[in-house]
Amino acid sequence: MKSALVLLALLLPGFALGEPPSPQKEVEAAAWLRKIYLASQKLSYTGTFVYRQGDRSESSRITRLVDSTSDTEKLEALDGMRREVIRKGDEVRCYLPDSMIVKVDRRSNQLSFPALLPAQLSRLPEQYQVVKEEKTRIAGFDCQAIVLKPKDDLRYGYKLWADMQSGMLLKALIFKDKGEPVEEFTFTQLTIGANFDRERLKPTFLGQSKQWRVENAAVAPANLAEAGWTVNAGIPGFHKVVEVRRQLRESQRVGQIVYSDGLAAVSVFIEPIEPGRDPARLGISSMGAVNIYTRELANHVVTVVGEAPALTVRRIADTVEYHRPQ
Amino acid sequence: MKSKISAMMDGELAEAELAESMHALREDGVAIEAWREYHLISDALRDTQILSSGFSARFAARLEQEPAILAPAAAPKRAEHGRYRFPLAMAASVAGVALVGSIVYMQWQADPQVARAPVPVQAESVAVAMPKEADDYLRAHQNYSPRNSLQGVAPYVRTVSETPRSR
Repeated sequence: MKSALVLLALLLPGFALGEPPSPQKEVEAAAWLRKIYLASQKLSYTGTFVYRQGDRSESSRITRLVDSTSDTEKLEALDGMRREVIRKGDEVRCYLPDSMIVKVDRRSNQLSFPALLPAQLSRLPEQYQVVKEEKTRIAGFDCQAIVLKPKDDLRYGYKLWADMQSGMLLKALIFKDKGEPVEEFTFTQLTIGANFDRERLKPTFLGQSKQWRVENAAVAPANLAEAGWTVNAGIPGFHKVVEVRRQLRESQRVGQIVYSDGLAAVSVFIEPIEPGRDPARLGISSMGAVNIYTRELANHVVTVVGEAPALTVRRIADTVEYHRPQ
Repeated sequence: MKSKISAMMDGELAEAELAESMHALREDGVAIEAWREYHLISDALRDTQILSSGFSARFAARLEQEPAILAPAAAPKRAEHGRYRFPLAMAASVAGVALVGSIVYMQWQADPQVARAPVPVQAESVAVAMPKEADDYLRAHQNYSPRNSLQGVAPYVRTVSETPRSR
């Protein structure tokens, strides 16, 4: 039995990563992940972060207020095209002043957002080796680094730096293969606490936006299998987290199924080909950690979008099948 | 075996595999250790009470008492030569799976479809061929990404990015 296990250990890809860390270390690292998660649920803050991807680098201001009655978050792009995202509870409003549109999205109450991660967190060690790494200083905060090394090539790796004291995430790096960066979020300035002017949370374009077009995405739970669609994600560790029908642009009935391994998520969108619409660009395209693969099937466009390697996104897209319901 | 133990914890093993994993838990320290380790990690993430130090020993003792229920049909054979055959067969089947897996993978890599795809995979560059509706998809997707739970709305910066659009 022992020799079989050693052989197993050599054959299974997850064990090719060298000496596994001691359980004690892995438990410590997992506890850090939980600390980061809890901090993200309860902390108020305001700060500026830089998003880097390839040769692109952009600054944004982010402000968050959590109190007993509300949870509001605002993201303002400081570089390039003006735009703003404001989340209040489960509602996300995106203000696009240049095109004079407000896009409103509401999470389906089938899945209450704050409950999303903990259930999945406990599955992370199946797909990632969680390791506690160095301590370092970022934007004036003493931080602890945690690395999530994927056990296969179907997902990216993550390195997270969190404030030792509060657990606030100061920096997040997504990497692939041997550690090449894919994208990075880094705070350059951060103040933790609710001690800021409440005006900061209000939409900058509140007055003008009254004249803008509002696109409301109606989202409702759905069962796409009943309509003849099957997606057999078949990627180890990816589980279905939500299945909805939603509005997307002018298309009223777009199916969306989301799969996640607890950290990475991939959405499968299925929408009828509308007459007169520009033909979809078939193939794969990438932006930072996001890959998008588009194919056509049974007079529908299937678009798979995910923070996962192109291989994974493509594989999931290829498992989508349609059988006319009997 | 570790992944099987983990699947077992999630209640995802078929009956035959379950018996095999239970057998491993009885016979082998590595499997028992994996079981204990996964529970510790999972507990740390859930913040439930960490298992008491004697848990593994007590669990092993309990398992020891229940052999007949676990593998009733195979038990007599195992006493003669099964003891040696079983690990070999298991190892062989795993090797088979690994081989099939890598062949499938190589076929995947060699799939001419990938090369013929209209837009090549370029992880680093901002692809000009990003569908012009990419922002809409990204926003719809972002709402359900677990990353929100770690970073709040920060990842939305991608969805409202200055991706070159075809206008």
